[in-house]
Amino acid sequence: MNLSTNGRVLVIALGLAVGVPLAAQNAGVQLLATPEYLRPDPFGGIVAADRAGPDKSEPDKATTGFSNKLRLEGARGSYVSFHLVVKMSQPGAYTLSLSFDRDKGKLQADLFREWFHFTDLDKQFYPDALIPIMLPYHSRLPEPDNRIPAQTAQAFWVDLWIAPDAQPKTYAAQAILEAGGQRSAVPIELKVLPAVVPNDDVLLMDHNSYGTSWLADDYPSISGKLGAEFFQSDEFFRLIHAYHRIFYEHRGIFHQLGYGHAGKVGPEFAPALAGSGPTRHIDDWSLYDRHYGPLLDGSAFAGTRRGVQPIPFVYLPVNPEWPASFLNWGEPGYETEFVNVLAEMERHFREKGWTHTRFELFFNHKKRYMGFPWDGDEVRFPADNRYFLEYGRLLKKAMPPGTPVKIVFRADASWDMEQQFKDLAGVVNMWVASRDILSWLPRAPAMLRQRGDVIWFYSGPPVVTQPASTITQFPLEGWMWGVGGFVDWLTVSAGSDPWFHFDGGGTALVYSGDRFGIAGPIPSVRLKIQRNTVQELALLASFSNRKPADELKKEAARLYNDTAPADWWNPRPAFAGEPPSNWSGTALDAASKPAMSHLEHIDPAAWARVRRYVMRLAAEEPAQK
Amino acid sequence: MKALLVTAAFIVPLAAAEKDMARALDEVARTATVMVDGDACQRIVTPRALDYMFKKDPNDPWVDGDNYEVNDHAFIAVKKTLIRLSRLAPFPCDVNLWMPIAGHPDKIRIVIRNVNEMSQFWPWGKLYQDMIPQMKQVLETGRRITVTEKPGWVSVLAPVHDSLDGTVALVEVVSQTRLDTHENVK
Repeated sequence: MNLSTNGRVLVIALGLAVGVPLAAQNAGVQLLATPEYLRPDPFGGIVAADRAGPDKSEPDKATTGFSNKLRLEGARGSYVSFHLVVKMSQPGAYTLSLSFDRDKGKLQADLFREWFHFTDLDKQFYPDALIPIMLPYHSRLPEPDNRIPAQTAQAFWVDLWIAPDAQPKTYAAQAILEAGGQRSAVPIELKVLPAVVPNDDVLLMDHNSYGTSWLADDYPSISGKLGAEFFQSDEFFRLIHAYHRIFYEHRGIFHQLGYGHAGKVGPEFAPALAGSGPTRHIDDWSLYDRHYGPLLDGSAFAGTRRGVQPIPFVYLPVNPEWPASFLNWGEPGYETEFVNVLAEMERHFREKGWTHTRFELFFNHKKRYMGFPWDGDEVRFPADNRYFLEYGRLLKKAMPPGTPVKIVFRADASWDMEQQFKDLAGVVNMWVASRDILSWLPRAPAMLRQRGDVIWFYSGPPVVTQPASTITQFPLEGWMWGVGGFVDWLTVSAGSDPWFHFDGGGTALVYSGDRFGIAGPIPSVRLKIQRNTVQELALLASFSNRKPADELKKEAARLYNDTAPADWWNPRPAFAGEPPSNWSGTALDAASKPAMSHLEHIDPAAWARVRRYVMRLAAEEPAQK
Repeated sequence: MKALLVTAAFIVPLAAAEKDMARALDEVARTATVMVDGDACQRIVTPRALDYMFKKDPNDPWVDGDNYEVNDHAFIAVKKTLIRLSRLAPFPCDVNLWMPIAGHPDKIRIVIRNVNEMSQFWPWGKLYQDMIPQMKQVLETGRRITVTEKPGWVSVLAPVHDSLDGTVALVEVVSQTRLDTHENVK
């Protein structure tokens, strides 16, 4: 088979070499490769969503994008990734291996078998969950546990890790498939550039979650064995830390909110309290410290490629019912309980040296969930802002002057955002903004950063039925906008049967490894692409020392989706001058449409074009040690 | 008050521990009928929010919740009473406030929940739901009812009256024989 024009453009843009005509290879057993944005299907094609152009329905386009030879390049301190695809026309056993031809130096290869999820949304298979494998890998087609009738192709995700101190040169490797006495190989050439991807990202990718009850459901082999002891076991805390590690290793962070909309606090999210009124105090730190200690001193990340670092942000358990009882709201007893316990927490954090992390005082409750009479999350009715002012006063009273402990007051803002930026200035200093509404406030990020506030926006992972490249849009948008990060609002909830009746993964970027005997989460194709985007963005932004940042953004936008930076913003709609309680959700959607329409259909090569630009600039970088 | 303890005919036989729990919850519920101010309850949810509660817009699926608002003074006053009542029990319990909806006799809504986030009846996140038969009975008869339909759960439903002696709301005094410390932490 030959590559179509579209396929050639994409493969070249992605840095893969176009190989010899594939028909020349052994047709019965083939090992091929595709770029990271072209997800293979289990029948030897590319999933429809990732086929370039409007011709997705044409059967011949289903096989465009495969290559039997790879020529890649990457910077140091980064990953270079692609799919390997085992194709066999007949069922049978096979062995996959990958080896470097000569000295592999500071390169490491991580391989994962891609699980094909049968997705209820469109009754198609999509690869997403990535099961770590050891090489050589022995299995058979059809893959026994994936149970796909007539499966003729198995995909593998390959991460080539280039350590920051790897020697810049060209490395050679070979991936080899052996089956039924036949052999097929993909030669891989990796040019390591002298440039090093900075450790610090231009924006933080936050992966959010709620509580821990899902861990018992997702890890039945552990929770079943431990029964009622599960939630206080070492295994439980190891699981929590494993979630932090996987997101950290993928250049992200992980948040777990530890309380409910009516104020119920999970025991591992808060120190145990005793007493009431003037005697209310922290009685026991043990569960809290087991949970957070290794995260706040960074030891939970020992052995990772990114090294030991404390988590940069964490939720506090504070809510209207904790640490002060809402029974005393508005009375001296509330203030006493709140201030005393917060002061104890500050002291504990200071004594432990947990001074690198920003502890977030954050109210997630909404009045629609009937716990409290005001919205902590997404204030719509401006009268609710007076509660923020009061908590700001209480927080200030609890903190000793000059404390090195960083406590920030976070608000997730939408309807009333513009007014809140003004009314809560100096009180709230961390904002997680609605992407829609922020899209018409282009001056807001700079204004907030200038006064020392943190500004992120919130979004959610794209479902697997969208093009694989869709997940690149949020990091790029965040950088274009000048925000410090973005939140995927839920990233650990893959549904009741992600393996055979998948909901698409709109609330999951990792999966439980329990099914595969792994006591921790396993990554996804989407998480890998998200990581690669951010690492390349960090490298691109680092070139601002020799090219104006605006020029870098302009070129990135042009290459990504043929836009100018101004196209990423919306005009402020007329209704924005009215009280937010008069706005409708429909009008809000319409107002955010112009900029969002540029991001509705991200073509498979969108980020690949940007990456190529980044690599070109990187190649021009003077050598670093 | 005409409230009397009714041994519900539709409950499964209770274990000894559940019987003790039901007895304690019933005592809280009996007190709640005396203490909870039905007039204040009626001032909690604004007429605008009630109006939006039944609006449907295919282009705006959250139109009901986004327009949910309450009068905080009334909410806080009643919630504080509910919290005090819950502390009468010698074990963790919640006292939730439920109210009927004018013009929708087949529906019921929860109005105030509390810190243990327990309810035998509330499907998480609903602004209103189909009328619970036992709640309908309480509203019609003014009598308390004990419900143990969900294994391990005990709820006592008790009427709340306004100044005109009408039954305008009810409380669900609820606990579990085995507390789940992680449920509803979300």
